[in-house]
Order: sequence, then structure tokens, then C-alpha cells
Amino acid sequence: MIADHELDAWRERWNSVAEAPAEFQRKVQRRIKRQDQRFVLGNLLTVIAFLGILIFAVFMRQQSSWMGTGWATGICVLVFVSVGYRVWVLRGTWRPETQSTRAFVELWHRRVKARIRLLRISIYVSLGWIIFCAALTAANWTTIGQDVRAHPRDWVEVLVACVLMQPVIWFWAARLRRRKLAELNEVKTILDELDEKSVL
Amino acid sequence: MSESRRALEEQFDRILGDYGAAISRLAYSYEAVAGIREELVQEIALAIWQALARFRGECSERTFVFRIAHNRGLSHVWRRRPPYRLLEELEESDQPVDPRPHPEEQAARTDQRVRLMSAIQSLPVTYRQMIVLMLEGLSHAEIAEVMGVTENNVAVRLTRARKALKDALGVRP
Repeated sequence: MIADHELDAWRERWNSVAEAPAEFQRKVQRRIKRQDQRFVLGNLLTVIAFLGILIFAVFMRQQSSWMGTGWATGICVLVFVSVGYRVWVLRGTWRPETQSTRAFVELWHRRVKARIRLLRISIYVSLGWIIFCAALTAANWTTIGQDVRAHPRDWVEVLVACVLMQPVIWFWAARLRRRKLAELNEVKTILDELDEKSVL
Repeated sequence: MSESRRALEEQFDRILGDYGAAISRLAYSYEAVAGIREELVQEIALAIWQALARFRGECSERTFVFRIAHNRGLSHVWRRRPPYRLLEELEESDQPVDPRPHPEEQAARTDQRVRLMSAIQSLPVTYRQMIVLMLEGLSHAEIAEVMGVTENNVAVRLTRARKALKDALGVRP
């Protein structure tokens, strides 16, 4: 066997680098406990939010105006379609096929691409939501009542708030998209580095 | 607590005991700042815990640990932009203390260690991974398993990674 003195010297220096941090295991156990609690709490909040939306929809449907029914139905459709689309777009990105670096980076690549698609769609959805709200308000304009028309309140107020929120949503989405595109470039670079052909 | 959960916890504790120092060393190659590095070490341990339930022994435990650790390290490199500081930029308090006497010898060792770590941190991530796995004593087959590439690929890349490391260390051929 040929001695590799250079490697031996590097290994000696490398092995003197670090020890496990103090109380390492205890800190990790604490984090695991916190993570378990967060998992339970997260699921609980999701169930509460889902039930809340259903109760809201039922409550609004009992109201006589078309407006209430329209809003409730709109919100329910928006939530179900958004969640459904998200699940569909993120399919195949839950876990890597193996734990290897290549599988992890490929999964990372798929995830970033899916999130960029989601961001693009979310801009259209927010626009669609405003058009829906505006159409609903226009269609129910006669039933809203003189007082609201005279002093914009309730539904009109919400509509104005939705419109005013648009620049914030677009700015946020554009910022996130830029970051995701940069991440995509980074992942592509790592994938290229791992590419079998690149060693030839 | 169920029997399977207890067995999993025992296995996890043993893995942390066996590979804790290796995980810390590996974290050095991804993060130079002591406080953040400790966070990274904990994140790696957490990721190992999450993956452990699905580990069916399809590879060795060592390969499994290094796979998870490097994947977490890669994510960390992305999240920590602008890139990490090099070790030369660190404060003295970030450096591990060598308890041995002979100040000159200690200083020389520390200097060599710092130079090696700085050089490793300056490499592209895939080279960095290769070098770290090689320094941890993994065979070409194990490195190939960790990275998901062929052994031939590992051999070629290791040669290049070593050359890049020597260049970064300022070693003349």
C-alpha cells in the first residue's frame, strides 16, 4: 500500500478541528420535543382554520343577501382550489428518491421550480379575486343599500382594501420570485457540478 | 412511549455519540461562525432524527449520516447568503482552544488548521463534500453512495478536488 503523507497530514489537522458542542445531545432532544409540539399545534391550527371557513360559509349562506352567499362561496372555492392546486404542483417534491446528494439536489430543483410556478399563479389568483369581488359588488349594487353607497362601508370597504393590497402582494411576489430564480440558478450549478458528463 | 419509538431514540443517541464529532467537523466546512455552526450541527441532528424512521439499512449507518449531514449543509450554504466568512475573519473566541503547552507549537498547529479549513471553505460545494468525506476516511464506494454518483466519477473528482485544495493552500506541485 502506497503511503499518502499529504492526506495523512490533512487528516491530522482535520481531526483536530472540532469536538461535538457541549450539551449537544440534550439540546437536540429539546429541539425534537419542540418540533413535535409545533407539528401537533400546526395540524390543530389547520383543522381549526378549515372548520372556521366552513362555519363562516354556512353562516353567510344563511344570510338573505346574494352578496353574503357569493362571498362565502367565493372564499370556499378560493381556499379549496388554492390548496388543491398547491398539492398538484408540489406533487413529487415531498421527499427524495434516495438520500444521496444528487437525489437531494434534484428534489431541491423540482421544489424551486414548483414554487416559482405557484408564485406566478398566485399573482393571477389575486387579480382574479379582485375581479370576482368587483363583479359581485356590481351585481349586488342595488341590494347593498343607499347608506353604503353614500358612505362606502362594509363590502365596498373590503373591495377597496383588496385593491390597495395588490401593490403589496405584487411587490412581495416579485421579490420572492427573484430570490427563487437566484436559488434555481444555484441549484442548477450544483446539478451541473454533479453531472456525470462534466467529469469527462 | 412505544417500544419502536424507544428503540429509535436509543439508535439516535448512539448515532449522536458515534458521529457527533464528525458532524461538528463537517459543519466547520459549511459554517465558520461558532454560534451559527452550533445551530447547524443541531439542525443536522434533527434531520437525522427525522430520516431515521425511514432508514431501512439500505446503506451503512455512516453513509446515511453523512448523506443527511451534507444535504443539510447544502441548504445551509444557500440560506446563509452572502456566503459565510472565512476562518481568518473570525474572532479569536471562535477558535477551539488547544489545551496543550508549547505556545509556538500550538500557534503553528492552529495556523495550519485555520489554513486548511479556509481552503476547504473556498472550494465549490461538490469538491468540498468530496474532500470532507475523504478526510473522514470514507472509501470511494462510500463517497459515491453519499453523493449519488459513480465510483469513477468520485475518483476523477477527488483528484481535481485535491488539486483545487492544494491550490487554495498555496502548495506548489
